[in-house]
Amino acid sequence: MSPPATSILEIRGLTVDYVTSVGPVRAVDALDLSVPAGSITSLVGESGCGKSTLGRALMGVLPDRGRITAGEVLFEGQDLQRLSPRARRDIRWRRMSFIPQTAMNALDPVQRLSAQMQEVLIERGGLKRAEAAARAAELFRLVGLEPARLAAYPHQFSGGMRQRASIALALALSPTLVIADEPVTALDVIVQRQVLDVLREMQARLGLSMILITHDMAVVAYASDRVAVMYAGQVVEAGPVAEVLERPLHPYTMGLTHAFPDVHASDMALVPIEGSPPSLLHPPPGCRFAPRCPFADARCMAEPPPMRPFGPDHLVACWHAEDAADLRTRAAEPATWLAATWLPIA
Amino acid sequence: MTALLQATGLEKSFVSRGRTVHAVADVSLALRPGEALGIVGESGCGKTTTARLLLRLEEPSVGRISFDGADITHLRGRALLPYRARAQLVFQNPFDALNPRFTIRRSLTEPLRNFGVPEAEHAARIDAVLHRVRLTPPAAWLERRPHELSGGQLQRVVLARALIPGPTLIVADEPVSMLDVSVRAGILNLLRDARDSLGLAALYISHDLALIRYVCERTIVMYLGRIVEEGPTAELIASPAHPYTRALVAAVPVARVDQDRGPLPIRGSLADAPTQGPGCPFRERCPHAFARCTTDTPALRPIAPGRTAACHLDGVPG
Repeated sequence: MSPPATSILEIRGLTVDYVTSVGPVRAVDALDLSVPAGSITSLVGESGCGKSTLGRALMGVLPDRGRITAGEVLFEGQDLQRLSPRARRDIRWRRMSFIPQTAMNALDPVQRLSAQMQEVLIERGGLKRAEAAARAAELFRLVGLEPARLAAYPHQFSGGMRQRASIALALALSPTLVIADEPVTALDVIVQRQVLDVLREMQARLGLSMILITHDMAVVAYASDRVAVMYAGQVVEAGPVAEVLERPLHPYTMGLTHAFPDVHASDMALVPIEGSPPSLLHPPPGCRFAPRCPFADARCMAEPPPMRPFGPDHLVACWHAEDAADLRTRAAEPATWLAATWLPIA
Repeated sequence: MTALLQATGLEKSFVSRGRTVHAVADVSLALRPGEALGIVGESGCGKTTTARLLLRLEEPSVGRISFDGADITHLRGRALLPYRARAQLVFQNPFDALNPRFTIRRSLTEPLRNFGVPEAEHAARIDAVLHRVRLTPPAAWLERRPHELSGGQLQRVVLARALIPGPTLIVADEPVSMLDVSVRAGILNLLRDARDSLGLAALYISHDLALIRYVCERTIVMYLGRIVEEGPTAELIASPAHPYTRALVAAVPVARVDQDRGPLPIRGSLADAPTQGPGCPFRERCPHAFARCTTDTPALRPIAPGRTAACHLDGVPG
């Protein structure tokens, strides 16, 4: 299937290894993903699925133990792997920026916010001091903060205000792509919603492309246009949010949609996915979800399913995608998942 | 029916930078035997302090707590031991709730010893509780240590440790917030099953109204240390009466494509909240506030059978 007409990011066969004392751990394994321009794409999955590693690899800020060992990342047509460290650094902030989970990681606790904004605007962006001050005020207004609060230190802000400030910082040099790693996870629900609204508004108003890394399907549903579901270092399903949520093709996605409560549903039965994700040190030979999948057969255990198109714009890596409609019905039954009681308990 | 746990006029204040801060103010609640009650609110609303007061991990500044008819408000030391056996806490973070050097057997034996359960009963109690939390066969788990277990498995041990003294009440503060999505449902189902089959009363503390709905038939909403609304969970969510509850319900994320993405019916942020003096604590953020809200603190009053709200507005604001 051809990627969407204009994609800002093309990831092909990307592999990231971590060096550990017990051998290399493949956190991201031959991952393909296309991120269309001008929309919000979510990467959703559980801890250890590789979503944050992928985000860091895209930003070029992997920890020392992490290495990209294969694959390429085309950003606006340019292969990031082939750039010099200097060229790579120039892209950061100016064309691609990052919003971390805890704003405290983006903000310097001993500097006033005005100084932090100026550092980016003047040193990275080449603005003059007066221009930088005006731009900083504009950015604060944009994310719903009083420009007068630029004089504050990060600790004088609430969690929500700090996250707004780190969004302002990420937008400082008008990047085309913003990568946000769990930007609302540490926040209370009301603040969470307000910060997601800021992100959505910025995306729409500035025509940004955004990658939203999250573990929460509800955040995906609220804020994104497209979603890629990750499991054990691979994308197992990708497509428009409405498609993936309403007609999931992969049993893991089906499981996730029944795994946590809906505030408006009376009498719902939560269905846990038994077992836990595989060790990335010794992943299973076939489909990585097969050991937890109630629909897995011998082929699933032996052969990894390739990612293939299914319907317009919807991709899945499952040998049984043809039967997805039937599997969705069965996946809604708790008994289907409980049947796999030979599994070790999660 | 008489209450298992009853709190009247609880207050807890701390002195911070020379000012007195009320973490909890005028909280009264009752929990019937076998009932599951949720306390929901955002960080700083006093829900965790309330739980700690009710468990008598802290002593209230003002107010009274009774359990099974006995006043436990000011009990200390060994006098609290019988209460500790009957009211157990399920810790939030399974990764640091267990002693890393203890085997599972030892972690489960400690509470039995502490509460004076005869040694002859230990093996049978441990076997039964591990079956209950579905860590089977028990023999396969007993000699393991925490680092050999996943987060979900650890939380099962934490739950087993809370259940093993045979409590009549369990208190769970954000019991699944540290766990991965795919294993949360398993723990929530275990908590529900344990409560149903053992007839336990349960008090759940969470910021997540969806979780509360799944496990609690009745819910209390707290804002800035006070109860602002209480009622049957389903009704409270379907027709929230207090303006803060309305905002809270509207903000709960749902994994659905069709949903309201309009602005929340709330202004400002917690930083705008008045901390002292008379008036409604929510007035600065309330879209419906009027003159009286700045002068009189609204008391909880009945608004429907089984429902109360602390708001001057008549009926559900429109």
